[in-house]
Amino acid sequence: MRFVDEFRDAELGRALAGEILSIVEPGRHYKVMEVCGGHTHSIYKYGLDDLLPANVELVHGPGCPVCVIPMGRVDDGIALAHQPGVIFTCFGDMMRVPGSDGSLLDAKAAGADIRMVYSPLDALRIAKANPDREVIFYAIGFETTAPSTALTLKRAKAERVANFTCMCNHVTIVPPLRALLDSPDLRLDGFVGPGHVSTVVGARPFEFIPADYGKPIVVSGFEPLDILHGVHMILRQLAEGRCEVENQYKRVVPYDGNPRALQVMAEVFELRPHFEWRGLGFISHSGLKLSEAYADLDAERRWTVPGVRVADPKACQCGEVLKGVIKPFECKVFGSACTPERPIGTCMVSSEGACAAYYNFGRFAREREVV
Amino acid sequence: MTDCTSDACITCGDVAVAMRVIEVDDERCLALCETAEGERSTVEIALVDAGPGDEVLVHAGTAIA
Repeated sequence: MRFVDEFRDAELGRALAGEILSIVEPGRHYKVMEVCGGHTHSIYKYGLDDLLPANVELVHGPGCPVCVIPMGRVDDGIALAHQPGVIFTCFGDMMRVPGSDGSLLDAKAAGADIRMVYSPLDALRIAKANPDREVIFYAIGFETTAPSTALTLKRAKAERVANFTCMCNHVTIVPPLRALLDSPDLRLDGFVGPGHVSTVVGARPFEFIPADYGKPIVVSGFEPLDILHGVHMILRQLAEGRCEVENQYKRVVPYDGNPRALQVMAEVFELRPHFEWRGLGFISHSGLKLSEAYADLDAERRWTVPGVRVADPKACQCGEVLKGVIKPFECKVFGSACTPERPIGTCMVSSEGACAAYYNFGRFAREREVV
Repeated sequence: MTDCTSDACITCGDVAVAMRVIEVDDERCLALCETAEGERSTVEIALVDAGPGDEVLVHAGTAIA
């Protein structure tokens, strides 16, 4: 398949790994954060870290939207799902995220009408097919997903679908990156930038990383060679003393993003003053809510949600994993009390979560021996 | 329910899938698209210029590139 097969070529991968080895300084430890959960997933699926020199460490960032949802927002969703006459719709990964008293899947087992959808448009279709019921779409995701929700809300408004609302949990990528860079317990040398978020926002919004923090960032694709190439470009910048935004994923990412997507997001959403991120706390202007023009479609205005802040379970170290401070296998409950079947923390729920990626691709056994 | 632990869940996160456009409904900004495996679904195409035969990158039911 075009744009896939040629980016999975093992021989080219080994050649690129050789190039990487030739440009790293022996004795220097490099810490590179892959911002996006999709990258984390690919790195462990294809064993890419095994191709890197021992002194190049990949650190997993906060770019998995399921992993950063705080428990209180899960509880709010479950409260809405239990409202009489409601059909509650959400993406698959979200169903198993634990709230303070069970997950959406548990709520479904207890009788709530909760349905998994593949797109916001599917949720709107359910609303049109059930005019006597209230249909709520639980929206999550970064700027990759937000335009899809925005288009569906525009469609619902234009078609006057009165029984459709959205509980908006969309988040933006730049504020948490700034929060991470301001974090005193984190030393990073560069970033593998998020590929599909950048399809929407472009590479330009990341210019603050080299400008304000002196770190390189390379927006990269998700195939094995994309990621290796991205890491190579970061290490080359460091070797040459450069520090800039580069775009490895030019076949998909325009430097200024997708203007139509940005326009529809600006019309439908506005920034929340602050939004809570699991493990990172409250971050200013990091979450989206529906704009005044779309207030009628806002589930949080149509119903009262508890809005109670719930502390994460004490045993769970998702926050440190999300900040790249510890590796998943260093968490006290990883692979024992917390598994993909019975997750305690969100990082074990989503396939893009660092813990699930480690667990599913067998990374924990060998690394534990090393520890 | 999709087994989201075995491989990437296309509905969440930063994952997008390449699909080929089969048929376009310009009035509704929707297109019938097909994956390389032959799975077909209706996709929002308001954010891209796409016609039959074009390849688009689809995330959560919307072509983003």
